[in-house]
Amino acid sequence: MPLLEVDSVVAGYGAGPPILTGISVDVDAERSYCIIGPNGAGKSTLLKVVCGILRPRAGEVRLNGSRVSGMRPDQLLAQGICFVPQDQSLFAEMTVRENLTMGAFLVKERAVVNERMARVFEMFPVLQERSGQLAGRLSGGEQRMVALGRALMMDPTLLMIDEPSLGLAPMVADQIFTTIRGFRALGITVILVEQNCQRGLEATDWGIVLDLGAKRFEGPAAGILDDPRIRELYLGSMCRRDVE
Amino acid sequence: MTDFLQTVVLGTLLGGVYALMGSGLTLLFGVMRIVNLAHAIFMIVAAYIAFYAFELFHIDPLVSVLITMPAMFLLGLAVYLPLFPRIEATPRYVEMTVLVTFALTLIVEGVLGFLFTNLVRGAKPGYTTDALLAGGIYIPVGQLLALGMSVLLLVGLWLFLKYTRIGTAIRATMQNRTSAQIVGVNIRRISAISFGLGMALAGASGSLMSYLFVFYPGQHWRWVALLLALIVLGGLGSLKGAVIGAISLSIISSFVTRWLGPDWSSLTFYLALFIILMVRPQGLFGKTMRI
Repeated sequence: MPLLEVDSVVAGYGAGPPILTGISVDVDAERSYCIIGPNGAGKSTLLKVVCGILRPRAGEVRLNGSRVSGMRPDQLLAQGICFVPQDQSLFAEMTVRENLTMGAFLVKERAVVNERMARVFEMFPVLQERSGQLAGRLSGGEQRMVALGRALMMDPTLLMIDEPSLGLAPMVADQIFTTIRGFRALGITVILVEQNCQRGLEATDWGIVLDLGAKRFEGPAAGILDDPRIRELYLGSMCRRDVE
Repeated sequence: MTDFLQTVVLGTLLGGVYALMGSGLTLLFGVMRIVNLAHAIFMIVAAYIAFYAFELFHIDPLVSVLITMPAMFLLGLAVYLPLFPRIEATPRYVEMTVLVTFALTLIVEGVLGFLFTNLVRGAKPGYTTDALLAGGIYIPVGQLLALGMSVLLLVGLWLFLKYTRIGTAIRATMQNRTSAQIVGVNIRRISAISFGLGMALAGASGSLMSYLFVFYPGQHWRWVALLLALIVLGGLGSLKGAVIGAISLSIISSFVTRWLGPDWSSLTFYLALFIILMVRPQGLFGKTMRI
């Protein structure tokens, strides 16, 4: 059974038109995923539905076979579904340490929180140096590390990351992707949404192509960019291969 | 010199009370983007509770915060839950809150007028006419006690926001609503609690108002204008800003009263509101709360 099943989900914002138009996606625990597609395809919206920030208008989301759509974000988080939004997702006027502590808001045992924070500091040593600084004052790359670290504080089983490389210098982005690749070893199933298809697909096993609110194609990440039809139909110029 | 100090002291004494009054208003805006025009009418509701507690049961207005705060907290929940969650998803939420709280204000004002008439009221505990004399400066005891109570409650609020689990969740929601949700804060619950808390602060303000000032139902318009001026000066949603805005405007108005007469003092606040909005519309401390 897949870890997560998105079944014919229709969703949109307010009274606006549907952004997701009946999308179905299965997510296996053993793989990591990269969702790609043009702007407005519904990539971020899909993540927001899965983590419970946005309620689907129709269809359902199942986790390990039981229905989770309609639950609140805090209830879904308690079941291990964690979401890292695009930039500016930190509590800018709290310190790095406070931000990380907020990540474990649902965990009541102090010892567990401290142990997880030690693990995050081990993974991102620079955050330990910056632990007393206000998160809003950090560089873009450091802020992204805090966002990822904060997500790890929940010990998620499914981690969805929206545009991890957005606004980062190439070298910093590489570092972030290396970290994300390492999440596999922690037993975390990762779903990325990434404008930079090349990098996103390199960091994951399986690619899913979205367009106009539905899944158009999926397959092993390595082959997707070589498929001329997919490039032509859905990705166009947005997904140039990096030219050395 | 004594005259100058005297004016500063009188301004500061009242400024502390204004800060308490403004804190609830700025908290609601910070957490939920609710512009609560009904804040002052609920202060008047609490002032009536404190007034009658004093007249009928001889409960000191300062002690009556023990009644007005929990009562207004519960009234806050009773007002919030049926009205606000359902307009939360509308794109014009902030504008809607202005209209909803405006309607609420008119209803409550009418009900108060019906129940208690429009007679001017004011509780008169013994200390309202007492004064201390320190180094040639005259300190009204009633205002000093009110300042003490305001400081106590504001420090309590600060400690609550800084060190409790719910307080931390409130601060997180003020800083980034979406992120608060994704780290597992139940923002519906936090919004309801914050609304209750804002109303409890209006309750405490009403207790102090009951003996510091005279009041009647229609007078809340003057108060809400004054409170909006001082929280706009501090920066909407900033607690620190509300305190600094309150004390500085109160001291300025105290000088205006001294030099031009009391008729001009309320003009200080409206004039300040215009100037702030023209010069620095985000206020002194921007839109988020730093502790």
